[in-house]
Amino acid sequence: MAHILAQSIIRHKPILFLSKTCALVLSHAEAMLGLGHFEKGESFVSTIYQAKSIRTMDPHQPHATHIALKDRKILAVGTAQDVADWQAAWGPLELNTDFADRTLLPGFIEGHAHMMEGLLWDYHYVGYYDREGPDGTIWPGLKSIDDVVAHLKQIQATRNDPSEPLIAWGFDPIYFEGRRMTGADLDAVSGECPVAVLHASLHILNANNFIMDAADVKNADNSEYIRRDDSGKPTGEFLGQLGMYMAMRTTNLDLLAAASSPKTLQTFSQVARQTGVTTCTDLANPVPEGAEVAMRETVEKDSFPMRLVVAFQGNSLPPEESVARMQALQDKQSDKLRFSLVKFVADGSIQGFSARLKWPHYYNGAPNGLWYIEPDRLREYLTAFTQAGFQCHVHTNGDECTEVTLDAIEDALRAHPWPDHRHTLQHCQMASRAHFKRMKTLGVGVNLFSNHLYYWGDEHRAITMGPERAGRLDDAGGCLEEGVPLAIHSDAPVTALAPLFTAWCAVNRVSSTGVALGGESEKISVEQALYAITMGAAYSLKMDTEIGSLEVGKRADITILADDPIEVGAQGLKDISVIGTMVDGLVHLNKGRDA
Amino acid sequence: MNQTASHRLAPNVSLTIIAGFLGSGKTSLLNHLLTQSGGRKITALVNDFGALNIDSELIEAQHGNQVSLTNGCICCSIGDDLMRSLADIMRQDPLPDHLIIEASGVADPTRIAAYAAVDPQLRLDGIVTLVDAAAHQLHAQDPYLADNYHKQIEAGHMLLISKPDLVEDSQVEHLEAKLRASYPKTPQARVRHGHLPIEVVLGLQAETGEQTTPPHAPQILSTQIEDHGLASWSAHLHGGLSREVLAEKISSLTPHVLRAKGVLRDAQGAYALHYAGGRIHFEDLDVQPSGHFVLIGKPELPNAQALSDLFQTASA
Ligand SMILES: [Zn+2]
Repeated sequence: MAHILAQSIIRHKPILFLSKTCALVLSHAEAMLGLGHFEKGESFVSTIYQAKSIRTMDPHQPHATHIALKDRKILAVGTAQDVADWQAAWGPLELNTDFADRTLLPGFIEGHAHMMEGLLWDYHYVGYYDREGPDGTIWPGLKSIDDVVAHLKQIQATRNDPSEPLIAWGFDPIYFEGRRMTGADLDAVSGECPVAVLHASLHILNANNFIMDAADVKNADNSEYIRRDDSGKPTGEFLGQLGMYMAMRTTNLDLLAAASSPKTLQTFSQVARQTGVTTCTDLANPVPEGAEVAMRETVEKDSFPMRLVVAFQGNSLPPEESVARMQALQDKQSDKLRFSLVKFVADGSIQGFSARLKWPHYYNGAPNGLWYIEPDRLREYLTAFTQAGFQCHVHTNGDECTEVTLDAIEDALRAHPWPDHRHTLQHCQMASRAHFKRMKTLGVGVNLFSNHLYYWGDEHRAITMGPERAGRLDDAGGCLEEGVPLAIHSDAPVTALAPLFTAWCAVNRVSSTGVALGGESEKISVEQALYAITMGAAYSLKMDTEIGSLEVGKRADITILADDPIEVGAQGLKDISVIGTMVDGLVHLNKGRDA
Repeated sequence: MNQTASHRLAPNVSLTIIAGFLGSGKTSLLNHLLTQSGGRKITALVNDFGALNIDSELIEAQHGNQVSLTNGCICCSIGDDLMRSLADIMRQDPLPDHLIIEASGVADPTRIAAYAAVDPQLRLDGIVTLVDAAAHQLHAQDPYLADNYHKQIEAGHMLLISKPDLVEDSQVEHLEAKLRASYPKTPQARVRHGHLPIEVVLGLQAETGEQTTPPHAPQILSTQIEDHGLASWSAHLHGGLSREVLAEKISSLTPHVLRAKGVLRDAQGAYALHYAGGRIHFEDLDVQPSGHFVLIGKPELPNAQALSDLFQTASA
């Protein structure tokens, strides 16, 4: 990720120790320092925060400087002139100036991420771009295969048990000219233990020869999912989920086992906090029996710095049972934990050539992609959930898939009319204006994968879509012009969780090499992008009456920024430092930031 | 970390993938296969075991997404994640003899087969693709699914024409001829309501270069099975019958022969013969051969007398 921050570790300015009244929650340090916890049920000290600038996303009052909080909610928003009136009407309210030099925005909402982001930080990041970890450490991007190998060698040399499997993630060779990583590269890290490198897409894995030998990859098999060199020998690169499976089988590690563990959730929330996210989605989760209880125990803690919206993986059960499971989850919800969405994945990914495209399909002539759910089955599920009154989010990458999904939604709505269903298309990267018009008519919203423009833009121009269609990739401008509710996302861990960066992508529409994708009509303004990562996402989650803007009565979820994004403007949006967040009015300061 | 390069594991689980579109009869077929396990411990990974409709007398126990049958077979639902379900099964102790995966209606079965290529304990036995005779026209022309449909047929090591009773016979024959023209080497059989002897489906030995016998070898059929629309012929072949000559005789019966098995002897010694999926395998044996030989094929196979003549000639 491109925003590089000073790594000074000035965690707590003295002022924080004095301001117990502003209900500070310092996520890690507070216990050691003996600061009081803010437990549920304790009365919340009513506070007015003074800021340099407050961007409310509320059209009645878009700009303010003061915000009053009471009972975990927003009591009033205004300027210095209003403070006396507030005191008279609601007092006593303490004035807090901790963030007087800062800009406050509604807490950012990530409408499409995966809890796996929290799991991956147990392993070693080896991506091309700088990425900020849960503790605020910036892991520098590794710019060549040799850099990756050198980094892993260094880790291997300092590990307690060098015979344990060494797992790395985030690798993305599309930025490396020339050769691809091989088993021999990773043997240089170690030939004595399993070494596996998971690619950023999560759908390719490189293994060292230790794993290859254990797997006994059969030479006779001509699987297209095993990359081979010119002599036909497997190179150690595996496509699809094959590599992950092989690594799991040969190491006996269940790489995904901890996917819903408290530790994973904690890490996930810390990554979210570092980037200003106060409500995050897990899209999706099969929520096996009992998982909801464990999740709630973790999420309910005041020290847990975000709201979590879990989308139930709709096709993990047959339609009837699936609806029943969703119904059973409804009374397991709380203010901070929601099971309000159902998710379906209808096709694959564009860069993996598994998205379903309309003619003329892939630019490089690759065969059309895969359905992950057959269209008839999708219709069956959407109809069942529409009838039961549950909002559905459907992953559709290719334009053919988008069209088929809109057909299915239309059929479901003919059968069970529902004016405010807010079914939402996720990714929806290749939607045309005609598709957006249809979404508008059907009441369907969209959450675009804007980060793709930057990370895979060049590849989409040259290989998957060609320059013309790549120009309308993730067309946020077209979407808004057609009147479709818009959110934008990172799909973390596929790309870095960082709403300001996602906003930057949608505003600037340039690839990592600086090549423009599309023109002005596909871009959106800074204001529109900020709206998309707050109110836009809130709307897509049906939470726009609770969060997404700073207005009276809403939950006190706030993102604290070093600079005002409206003043910083399009270019610098991604580089604005996130100081911390407030969730329910409780302050969570970031690691590695100076408040 | 107890399964690493230090000791390689024998590929002792055979994998059969049942592919085919929604409604093509995968579930009925699976249901019937599970009732004829014949001593094999079969684990079936299915999309929805509610739909399987297993005879309640056969169910021994049910835990979560797993049903154990009284004959030692197990049924698991895939949920949304085949990779993890498969990994879970392959971690079980003891492992099943045979794993049958019911592919989802739109799955590319070669993607599933690829797991066998990297799992040292898994050996691809074959991909069986069901072709719905009644819906073939529809599927082959579906604007969204035609490419998937052809991919599945192309991937099949055996094609099963399902629901032949729902359309005119001439239509079925036309379909069979069309498929034979496109895939001349892929054996075909008709299947009605899932009724098919398990030997036709399991034991295709698609993975070349490997000739392991399943630990629980299937019982050789000795009776005519007409209700499945298949014919079988069995005999005791006496005297030496060379492998080459036998192979030639069997291939002279294509495309009507689907399976052949025998335990025989020639000048080189005793051997077992397996013919499946259009390929023939021989395996040396240390035992006294019984001379038992069985053919399973379509009704178009020559009649019993003609077969007798053919193989007795060879045997002379
Ligand atoms: Zn996703």
